[in-house]
Formats: sequence, C-alpha cells, structure tokens
Amino acid sequence: MGNPSGDLPEAVERRFAAGAFSSGLSVPDFAACLDMGFEPIGLVQGFCAMQWGWYTMGGAFRRGFSPYGGAPGDYLENYQCPHGMRSAEHRAWGQNYEQSWIEGAWREGFTSAYSRMLEEAIALGAHGVVGVLDTVGEISDLGVIEFHIRGTAIRVTGAPPSPVTPWTTYLAGQRLTKIFEAGYVPVSIIASVASVRVWASCITEYLLEGLGMSMWAANSGPAEVEQMVSARTAAREIVRAHARQQLDGDALHGVDVLVSEREFERGDMEIQCLLRGNRLRRFKDFDPLPVPQPTVRLS
Amino acid sequence: MSDATNDLPEATGHRLEELEHGLFTSDLSVNEFLLIKEVGFHPVGFVMGSSIYHTGFQTRKWGQSQELTKLTEAMYNARELAMTRMEEEAAELGADGVVGVRLDVNYYEWGKDAAEFIAVGTAVKAEDGVSRLNKLGRPFTSDLSGQDFWTLLQTGYLPQGLVMGTCVYHIAHRGLGQTLSTTGQNVELPNFTQALYEARELAMTRMQDEATRLEASGIVGVRLEEKSHQWGSHTIEFLSLGTAVRQTSSEVTLAKPTTIISLDN
Repeated sequence: MGNPSGDLPEAVERRFAAGAFSSGLSVPDFAACLDMGFEPIGLVQGFCAMQWGWYTMGGAFRRGFSPYGGAPGDYLENYQCPHGMRSAEHRAWGQNYEQSWIEGAWREGFTSAYSRMLEEAIALGAHGVVGVLDTVGEISDLGVIEFHIRGTAIRVTGAPPSPVTPWTTYLAGQRLTKIFEAGYVPVSIIASVASVRVWASCITEYLLEGLGMSMWAANSGPAEVEQMVSARTAAREIVRAHARQQLDGDALHGVDVLVSEREFERGDMEIQCLLRGNRLRRFKDFDPLPVPQPTVRLS
Repeated sequence: MSDATNDLPEATGHRLEELEHGLFTSDLSVNEFLLIKEVGFHPVGFVMGSSIYHTGFQTRKWGQSQELTKLTEAMYNARELAMTRMEEEAAELGADGVVGVRLDVNYYEWGKDAAEFIAVGTAVKAEDGVSRLNKLGRPFTSDLSGQDFWTLLQTGYLPQGLVMGTCVYHIAHRGLGQTLSTTGQNVELPNFTQALYEARELAMTRMQDEATRLEASGIVGVRLEEKSHQWGSHTIEFLSLGTAVRQTSSEVTLAKPTTIISLDN
C-alpha cells in the first residue's frame, strides 16, 4: 500500500484498506477489463474547489473607454466602428481577446484535481486508471467551481506494483481493448480550455440583436457575423495549440471538443472551448482488426 | 413460506399468493427476460418496499462545513427500511435475488420534512435449486439490468447486494472578509476542496463497509449522486451506490465479441 503523501483524508485510507475493491466501471466495462488481464483495485478521485468569476481585465472600468492591450502572445483583435460616430448607444470599437488568466486558473484547478486522483492511484499501487470521468461544475450558488476527476484504478494481474506514475485514459471496456489491439498504450488524459471574451462592435451588436443601427439597417440582408466567427475559430485554435504542447510528440485520440457561449450582458460574451482526449503511444505494429460482420436490423 | 418478520400489508399477501402459483409479474423487457433465463434464473415476481420517513431538521453553523449526522442517519435508515421490505417480499417468494432494483425518493405536499423512499425490482430464483442467498442469508439485490446480470455471471462473479453509503453535508457560507480578500481572482479554496472530498469519501467508505459485511470481493458500477433535496443549496446529500459482487469462479466464459458493422443507416 504505502502512503506517499499525508494529505489524503482519513476516510480514503480506511476505504483502501477494506478487502473489497470498488470500481466505477459498468458491468460490460468490468468484464472487458478482466478480459484484458486487468483487475480493478479501487475507485480513485481528486478534487479542487476554486473561487470563480469571469472577470474582465480591468473590470467594469475598462468597458467602453479604451481597448484592452492584451497580454503578450495572446489572441487579440480589434474592430473599429466604420461609421465615425460616438454616442452612449453607439459603440466606437469592439474587441475579441483571449482570457489567458481564466485558462490558467482552469488549468490549475484541473491539474490539482488530476494529480490528487493520481496520488490515490499511487497509494493503491495501480498501473493505470481507466474510465476517467471529469466534471467541472458550480457548487450551488456560492460562486465556487469544483473540479472533480475520478476513475477506476487497475493493476495488471500478477505484475509487481508500477515504479512509474500510473497511466490514465477516458476509455474503458471494449473501446480500450481496441486501442491495445491497434498497438497503442494510453499515456494520460489531456484536457484544456480556451476562453475568448467578445466585446461586440456596433456592427456585431446590430447583427446579433438588431439594435442600435437602424439607419444602416435598410440595405443589410443576411450576413456572416465576422467577429463571432473569428472568436470561435480562435478559441478552437488556441485549445488545439494547448493540447499539442501537452502531447510531446505522442498521438491524441478520441478527441471531444465542446464549444459553449455565455452572455454576461448585451454585447459582452465569453466563448469557451473545452478539448478532451487520450494521449496514446505506439508500442507495436498495427494488427489489422478482424473483418467486421455486416448486420441488418429486421425491425 | 415462513411467516418470520411478516409485517407486509395484507394486499401483498394476496398478490404474492398468486405469484407462488406460478404466475409471475416483472418489469423486465423481453430481452432481459430471455437473458436471465439463459443464465439459469427465472423471474418470480415484481417486488417492492417503501418507507415514509420523517427526515427532520438539524441546525447548522453558518460558517462551518460539517456533516449533518442526524440527516445522514435518516436518509440511510429510510432507504435501508425500503430495501429490507423489498427483500422480505422477495424472500416470501422464495427468490434468490432481486435484479433491476431502483431506489427513488419522492416528496409530497402533504408531508413537510417527510419523504417516501421506494425500492422496486424483479425477484429471480435459480432454476437448479441451489441457493444463491448472500452471506447474510438474504436474497441478493442489485441494480443490474438483465444484460448486465448475464455479462457479470459470465465473468465468474455473482451479485451480493446493492450497497450504499450516504453523507449529508453542510457547506459553510463564506464570510464577507474572506470573499473580499479574494475578489477578482480565481483561486483554490482549500477548505472547500477538503470538505467536499471528505463528504464523498465518507459516503464511499460507508458503502464499502456494507460490501465488507457481505464478504464481497468488490463493488461494480459505483455511482456518486449529489442532491440538495429540500434543504436549500448549502446542504447536499452525497449518495454512493453500487452492486457488491463475489467471485465464485475464476473462469471468465465471456466469448470474444464479434466486430459488426451495421448496414442500417
């Protein structure tokens, strides 16, 4: 067993000391796991609760006065008003900028929870963690976000405890079996977030809301909202660049990209892009899969 | 049938009597029914147990994260009562176990601070006549579907019981000073991390203790559920549920799955 770090709660030690294993695997995944020669040894988890706000750089004072300069190297795009007019209703400029401080805080929360899960896995002498699930959610109405990462620690039947950090993967069951058959071994899960704040320009605001520009509206038909497209494209590119940095030359498989949009107030939005995938490494040549059996449903 | 611990309502007696004459009710789908037959079990009846429980109220300290032990106990006992009554129904039918168990909590307008806990499932009996009762001499319970039950038996494991652990936890409110000192930053709140971690671990350890009592080799399909029920947002119940299993043979008879490609669109 061992106890590499003293900050696991007392309840964890009691749970791990119990004779029975616990696993978050469904029965089909459990069966596939035994079939691969793995035995589940325990459900492992890690947490990180963080205070959370979608603060803008400079806060409310910045808004409407002058464009934000951006941190060096961050994505930043300005949209000048082409109409040459200023008023309380008419925005003189719009801006897309990367909120690298949000991305950094997210990474910190996720990594802390992840390494705590690994601590539990190491305490169990695991070789790997399969079927990882992560949830990032707000705790009631506290302005607190909790990162919760969990998975099932496994041991290769008959093998001595792993001398290296256990590998982790979102996959379990037959999907994981296929990865091994294809000649890959899992290295770790990869997760990253990109956050782009959109401060809509007068044109974007009009196109989104149909407000504030009625005198130019007469001859405008359906049109692409350039600023929004640009923000979404940038968020996707940023998140892919983050993932590439974490890969270190390995392959990334089973990627899932989720884009979400949050509106703080009219014309002030955050585009968030979350990427999750499995970092894999090749260990042998590809064995072709057996030829699949075609099936037709009769009902 | 034995009449030990027989506190089942009269209506049950009549229904169960009919079931004993060979007619069975079940909420299994046709596929589940066939799979359960395939592994040598026969459904004997749809069984249920319920308990209406006054969960009560417990004072909490505004600024302190703590377990609300009274509520934890209430939530646990109420479910345990419902489960035990369901097991009694199953035992009455001479069943070896109950599959497809669902545990629900209902709140009604007529009962403030009270809740109805219900457990329902399909009782099954082994066709070879060999008892599959668990270590406590009671029918096993599990939330496994027919498909899962079939697959599990192919791996040489047998369900022993639906095991659970719960922990009702109050999460501290943050003082104005604390909130102000971190305004404008996204930073970790170690106290919150630790409190929520501990609450879930307590629930899981209690579940584990139940499995140990059944002399199980492990628990599969562990789920962690979080609900605020009717206590307001700062009080959360962490419920951990899973099916305890015992290895009865080291032989895995699960055939290698065939890869298929569906030609349906």
